[in-house]
Amino acid sequence: MRAFLALLRREVFGLAISPFVWFLLGLWYLLNALFLLQDLARPAVQNDLDLLPMMTFGSSGILVWLLLPATPPLLTLRLLAEEQRLGTLESLLTAPIGDLAIVLAKYLAVCLYFLVFWSGVLGMFLLLAAEGAPLDPARVLGGFTGALGLSFLFLASGLWTSSWGGNLLFAAGAGAGLNYALLVLPVLFRNEEGLLGDAARAMDLPHMLDSSFASGIVDTYALLYLASLSALFLFLTWIRLVSRRWVP
Amino acid sequence: MIRADRLTKRFGPIAAVQDLSFEVPPGEILGFLGPNGAGKSTTLRILSGYWPPTSGRASIDGFDLVRASLAARRRLGYLPENFAAPPELRVQEYLRFRAGLKGLGRGRRARVEEVLEQLGLGPRRRQPVGALSKGFRQRLGLADALLAKPPALLLDEPLSGLDPLQRLEFRAFLREQARQGTAILFSSHVLPEVEDLADRVLVLHRGRMRALGPPGELATRLPGLERLALRPGARPAEARALLAADPGVATLEESEGEWILRLRPGTRPEELLQRLAAAGCAPAEFRRLRPRLEELFREALASGEEEA
Repeated sequence: MRAFLALLRREVFGLAISPFVWFLLGLWYLLNALFLLQDLARPAVQNDLDLLPMMTFGSSGILVWLLLPATPPLLTLRLLAEEQRLGTLESLLTAPIGDLAIVLAKYLAVCLYFLVFWSGVLGMFLLLAAEGAPLDPARVLGGFTGALGLSFLFLASGLWTSSWGGNLLFAAGAGAGLNYALLVLPVLFRNEEGLLGDAARAMDLPHMLDSSFASGIVDTYALLYLASLSALFLFLTWIRLVSRRWVP
Repeated sequence: MIRADRLTKRFGPIAAVQDLSFEVPPGEILGFLGPNGAGKSTTLRILSGYWPPTSGRASIDGFDLVRASLAARRRLGYLPENFAAPPELRVQEYLRFRAGLKGLGRGRRARVEEVLEQLGLGPRRRQPVGALSKGFRQRLGLADALLAKPPALLLDEPLSGLDPLQRLEFRAFLREQARQGTAILFSSHVLPEVEDLADRVLVLHRGRMRALGPPGELATRLPGLERLALRPGARPAEARALLAADPGVATLEESEGEWILRLRPGTRPEELLQRLAAAGCAPAEFRRLRPRLEELFREALASGEEEA
């Protein structure tokens, strides 16, 4: 446990002192503020402020299609790909800490740090509420939960692509590509008949955001789906680390 | 105690290490010698728990590196060949992180200060790792390896990139560690340094052990390295002719009034001298020449080539 906490602390600290991460955080806040202002200026939202969480966290928002798939891999690339690039991975893997603990500590660290990204967005909604905007807390918190769950999934997939090698550009690009595939593929096939259509509908992340989270409902299926898929990517990352032992 | 028992590591059809067995008891320094690709780093990686062996067993202080990997890794300090640390961290921060990773508790900060001072890193504690010279980075790597006061140290090319003064300091430091009971296994390409530092030398070539023993005794284990220096006595011409014709003498060279004989495997110097004395050509003086490690190394590799 001590080793796990030491690695967790080091990863959070490493993210906190990285100028690139600060730049990313600034850009994230700026773009989110701009998107929020843009959403607020829409006549539909001005007539009914309850639409704002849907606009921000639902599938019609730019956040879901632009910032969410692209940002997590830019954070996760430093977790394993950079360790491989710098040559520090061997020291880590020969320290008295298990491979699974390494994966979980790194994942937890980046998830905790991503809360800093989200806290600013939540802060903007709190600011609106403080100014007397009649926001529906269930929709805001539901939308926020969905976006958070989706970010944690994308961080897990990003961690997996980060384990593929020491090429940072590839790690980030593959992570973003994978995230877009997770978002887009079910949308493309959700109207199909048969097994393909059923599978696409069961994995339709934008639909989950709209029909449950951003509507103020926390759907257990959607939560479980996000959690299982995240667990799958963490498992794949662990497999990638332990596979060094499998060379015949 | 570092122990390797019939270690074999294969990468597909290539055997990087084959049937390698040795022990490093507490307080001993074992030098690992071999050309590039001999299997030194592979062996050290197996012993560090990074890779499992394809077959055979490796253990640190009795803990198997596969079955009780964490317990074994808690008992060893490992300096990889190209030691690297996150460049953005300061020296002290890095060591505190590594101390935590190695499970050091309350005494962590004090221990970090101790190794910083031991390795002369004190004045650089607030310097980012990325700004350290190669020599200081190696010190940092060694400091990292020593943090948990491990009973076993594995050092892959620890002296590479160091200037002569740093090498001297490093050697003195390692000797002191061994004196305190640490089992040390280190690899190097620099033969005189292995000869100078190691209590025993293991020569590795193409993944196989070619020789193992104290540098001074290796000659007896490697055939064809026995050499004699003779100063001719009575009847030198006859003596020379006798020696040149003797089946036990491989080569005869002259150097500063001495004859340097290289003996064939199985030839006993005493018998050769008796033959000379019986013919009335006893030398005025003779001495056995201790083979230099470089020669042993070359010979070990050559015997490996022949087998291959």
